[in-house]
Amino acid sequence: MTGRVDELPEPTGRSLPLPERWAPEQQETIPGVSWAWQAITGVLLLVLLTLHMIANHFVVQGGLRDYQQVIDYITNPVILPLETLFLVVVSWHGLLGLRAVIFDFGLSARAERIVTRVFVAIWVVTVIYGVTLLAILVTHR
Amino acid sequence: MTDRAVTRDADPRPSPGVPLSARRRGVAGWVDVRGRRLGGVAFILNRITGLGVLFYLYLHLVVLSQLAVGPSAWDSLLKNWFLNPVFLVLDVVLLAGLLIHGLNGIRVALVGLGLVVSRQKALLGAFGTIGAIVLLIGTLMFISHGG
Repeated sequence: MTGRVDELPEPTGRSLPLPERWAPEQQETIPGVSWAWQAITGVLLLVLLTLHMIANHFVVQGGLRDYQQVIDYITNPVILPLETLFLVVVSWHGLLGLRAVIFDFGLSARAERIVTRVFVAIWVVTVIYGVTLLAILVTHR
Repeated sequence: MTDRAVTRDADPRPSPGVPLSARRRGVAGWVDVRGRRLGGVAFILNRITGLGVLFYLYLHLVVLSQLAVGPSAWDSLLKNWFLNPVFLVLDVVLLAGLLIHGLNGIRVALVGLGLVVSRQKALLGAFGTIGAIVLLIGTLMFISHGG
């Protein structure tokens, strides 16, 4: 940012003029962290999604698991933690990606913080929903 | 900060390969292919497939709630809807989206880490071939499950 605060014009609803908002030096730190998270979760997803697709679509007689096959699958002590991890990682990766898309519209720092909090909340709700569903299926078979 | 990577394909920051002027136009900016390099086009494809797959993820999670309703709810959903040829076509679209997003993601990660930067076209060719083969195998398997 350049200039003193008292030299800035009256607020126009935008926190920064457009060219400054896109200044690469302002995007150096946080997107770097996000990028690393996206890469790490992406690599994990290559393994977890491949497993999920093969197990649920390619080795099943008929192409998709019926109810009993789903129960047999997710009550497997190796599969349950892997599918839970898949839920946690895939929702994180997807929401972080959508957050990056939204950030590219050029938000103020305050709006970015709000979006981040909303997305963390959506992620937590997603994981709770998925784990609850898994718990129902594992316990009420 | 230097200006080394503002429009470089391998830029690990958001919107690599997208001209700054295009970035300022929101969604209209992404789909405009003028002035982009190959990495910029791959970036748009990654966004589109990423958004599509995220939409599918939440649809999938909602549909899975039918498992909690009971065996008859799930099994009839399977029989009446998901093994229908229309859904099998959508499965092929989903697999294509996952392959594009996943393989391009590996490419972005490799290039972003400074690996294979000078062989990007070869990398694209290799991943394109792998993706096409897996998509073909997957499609044949979906067809064999249909009907």
